[in-house]
Amino acid sequence: MAIATDLEPRRAPSLGDALDRYYGSLVSTAAVVAFLLVWQVAAARGWVNARYTSSPGQVLAAALDIARHDDFLHHAWVSFSAFSLGFAAAFGFGLPLGLALGTSRRLRLFIDPPMMALYTAPRLTLLPILIIWLGIGVASKVAVVFLGAVFPIIVNTMAGVREADPHLLQVARAFGARRLDSMIKVLVPGALPAILLGVRLAIGRGVLSVVVGEMFVSEAGIGHQIMNYGEAMQVGHLMVYAFAISLFGYALTILVRLIEDRVRSWRPQP
Amino acid sequence: MTRLFERHQALISGCISFAVILLAWQLAVALGFVQIFFTSTPIRIAVAFWSGLRSGEIAANVGVSLYELACGLALAGVAGIGLGVLAGWSRTIEHVLEPFIWFTYACPIIAFYPLFIAWLGLGAPTIIAIAFLSALTPLYANTLSGIKNADQDLLRAARSFGARRRDLFLKVALPGSVPIIVAGLRLAVGRALTGVIAGELFGAAAGLGYSIAFYGQKLKTTEMMVSVVLVVILGVVLTQLLSLCEAATDSWRTGPGQ
Repeated sequence: MAIATDLEPRRAPSLGDALDRYYGSLVSTAAVVAFLLVWQVAAARGWVNARYTSSPGQVLAAALDIARHDDFLHHAWVSFSAFSLGFAAAFGFGLPLGLALGTSRRLRLFIDPPMMALYTAPRLTLLPILIIWLGIGVASKVAVVFLGAVFPIIVNTMAGVREADPHLLQVARAFGARRLDSMIKVLVPGALPAILLGVRLAIGRGVLSVVVGEMFVSEAGIGHQIMNYGEAMQVGHLMVYAFAISLFGYALTILVRLIEDRVRSWRPQP
Repeated sequence: MTRLFERHQALISGCISFAVILLAWQLAVALGFVQIFFTSTPIRIAVAFWSGLRSGEIAANVGVSLYELACGLALAGVAGIGLGVLAGWSRTIEHVLEPFIWFTYACPIIAFYPLFIAWLGLGAPTIIAIAFLSALTPLYANTLSGIKNADQDLLRAARSFGARRRDLFLKVALPGSVPIIVAGLRLAVGRALTGVIAGELFGAAAGLGYSIAFYGQKLKTTEMMVSVVLVVILGVVLTQLLSLCEAATDSWRTGPGQ
């Protein structure tokens, strides 16, 4: 933290510095372990009702039970395929639209207002309509993931293109680049960090959408299982599935962040 | 006339664009391209909107959703800004909180809604809890980053005039973070509204999300669309209001930081 380090007097590097480097992760790990211990003890001693809160031991047992008796891979696959189809559609549609909106002022004037209205509203409200239109199968889940993920991609691509370096564009044009050339070779690379940020935001929305879609109506998938175990008050099993989907979203987000860092590192600092 | 058009170009083209959408929608149904059952029509929705206004149903639903949103946001504001300030004050507290805060961010909170129902019962408290957890992270993260990225020149100036750590924190870092905290509030409102509506789709007996799910299950498209339109309007109005707040808290700043 900037203020604290600035306030402390500078000292020569020592053995303590090695510990200092890992201080953050040590403290975080200790906090999580402490939390799990308190949780386990509180449930075992009856300070909290373990039926409602479960306990780390029960969650572990539930995980083993799910691995053995529940068709976890099948449910994970159902959710994953709906997520990836919806996300791929959102990317394939959002990127070109974002590029077009970023480059054409006229298009922006007409498409921006209704798009922003949908962007600021929670798109999950459309879920019941999508179900009326598309039924309770995979199509409405794909559609709700698409709607959740497409707007961050469009909006960020548009912003990235609009902030692209005008000098680079002028240079490209002076050397005879056509509109498509300058788009593919100047605008897209220039807007890449913004596009990746949009993708990262879209992942969170997409994961939320697929879970809520499956909780609302479906015959399989992680969200479906969460709903089932929730209704049966099998809290441990519910938590295993909730952790699994959180982990999936978190891992994807980290992955995109790593790509973002790589993309940014080749740029000269302004 | 052309001057008038140029000055309000964005507004005019926006209105044209909405008008075209509504007209196309109405015509598509009138000419039989889509069935009225699937999409309803703008005119029917307007009529249902008017009767909902007169019967008080709309006011009741909007009231419930806004109340839940306000409670969730207020709790998230107190907890998020409070924890952010603590984490900004001490690096140890920051690292203690970090795994929990990021878990609430990465995890689709709504997945735990059966648990909230078991703990808090069906209705407002459950929805408020979901809104609270959804809104917590942006407020916490923005407060923390505002304090961490406090203007170094100001800090140095304050220190050379004899400010202590507490003074630096309370008089420089914290006031300097207000605009970014308000920006966090704008993000939090969006997430909290999603939380409220999604929560109401499942576990509620009143509110806009509940009415969407209720009419959706009865396949009454027109009445459902009224609530969907209301949610969209609510989202736009709240976001615009907070953008105004953001501009207002930022306007007293001058200098190269702008």
